[in-house]
Amino acid sequence: MKRVLQLETRLPLTLGKNRSFSKFDRVMAPGNSSGSESKRKAMALPGAGSDGVLARLGNTVRQSEVFHKGKRAISNTARFSKKIIWSTGKAAWIAGTTFLVVGLPLLIEIDRDAQLAELEGHQASLLGAPSQPPGLAAMK
Amino acid sequence: MGGVLSFAAAPPPPLPPSAADRLPVEDTHKDDQSEKVEKPAGEVDWLNLPCPTSYDELQREAMMSLKPELFEGFRFDFTKPLNTKFSLSHSVYMGALEMPSQSPETFKVPTAHYEFGANFLDPKCMLIGRILTDGRMSARVKYDISENLTMKINAQLTNEAHFSQGMFNFDYKGRDFRAQFQFANNAFYGGNYIQSVSPHLALGGEVFWLGHQRKSGLGLAARYNTDKIIMTGQLASTGLLALSYVHRASEKATFATDFMYNLANREATSSIGYDYLLRQCRLRGKIDSNGTVAAYLEERINLGVNFLLSAELDHWKKDYKFGFGLSVGEF
Repeated sequence: MKRVLQLETRLPLTLGKNRSFSKFDRVMAPGNSSGSESKRKAMALPGAGSDGVLARLGNTVRQSEVFHKGKRAISNTARFSKKIIWSTGKAAWIAGTTFLVVGLPLLIEIDRDAQLAELEGHQASLLGAPSQPPGLAAMK
Repeated sequence: MGGVLSFAAAPPPPLPPSAADRLPVEDTHKDDQSEKVEKPAGEVDWLNLPCPTSYDELQREAMMSLKPELFEGFRFDFTKPLNTKFSLSHSVYMGALEMPSQSPETFKVPTAHYEFGANFLDPKCMLIGRILTDGRMSARVKYDISENLTMKINAQLTNEAHFSQGMFNFDYKGRDFRAQFQFANNAFYGGNYIQSVSPHLALGGEVFWLGHQRKSGLGLAARYNTDKIIMTGQLASTGLLALSYVHRASEKATFATDFMYNLANREATSSIGYDYLLRQCRLRGKIDSNGTVAAYLEERINLGVNFLLSAELDHWKKDYKFGFGLSVGEF
């Protein structure tokens, strides 16, 4: 019974794609959903019996529980992954712009300061001044 | 420029226990807070406690690092000294002015103004005046009446009604305490007092009364201060709690963080920032719990020529502000 309920809730989604739903219904839940069965059968009838083996195989595959579960899983994964990609993109954007504003200037300036200190130390040693660590010269 | 108050002398060596009986002499200075000093003496020289920072400037170091003067647009400042004491300043600003609005979106109105200023700086007396093209004028006076007593006047005049302000401050600087009395228009009266209770710790309190709004308030503050770290805490009866912590990692680098909690609207904000003082530049950056990221760079291009870059990103509001400027001439 529970399974039938599940099927019925799923029905509006899958009705358009699965034309011969009734067969599956009969197999899965014999005698339980007899009221609505005839209606479904009428809807599913065109083209149900007149196909070849491949089409039948395709139908059975499409009607199987695994197929539905898989399809739902795939669509869920697609939705979630889209969301995740979007939010990671946003996070990356925020982190990147934050780094550009707060981090990058700091790195550049510290590097420049180190270079300047090195240059000063070099010049001091060239001039023959008493050698002094560049850091001390900077402090004054 | 980091402006961290450091004591000239290390804490004096422990005194013999006989120092304890000299304590009452000191107590004459601390009328209302004397109970805080009654701690086991003998380890520190209670008579030579350093003078604390004034109550208004308790959080100055944290503010200096975390609240740079961010701007949007372009600014140009020019200061020309006429002689050693007198200088004139000109400043042009072009940018956008944010209009306050109820909606979450911000409205910006393009604006530009020119500011003319005159400064007179003397060890005993300081006069600063500024006038803007839109009619606003501000004046600041600081005058040392005696060695310990200082008078400060702050005034702002605008052409809109009810926005003009005037404020008088009298600061008394004792040996290990500071007291301030202030009064302003709209019947504002306030007083505060701060006392060093140990070589590193200062405690203070304030009282104010807003006559026109019939409001009064109390405030308490504590500041712990060593060469490396500064911790402050302030609590006001208006429901505001402010904590700050400043760490001087090295000669060049200072890190600061602050936390503010407003009981009235139950909002808490905190921010963390750095302040690098290098030979060619000063760089400040901060990240805010409101989703705001800001950086402010002052680069020295030449002697007396500074290049300014200011950036502020508000990620939540998607409000991005960038500014650049030049400042020529120094005080």
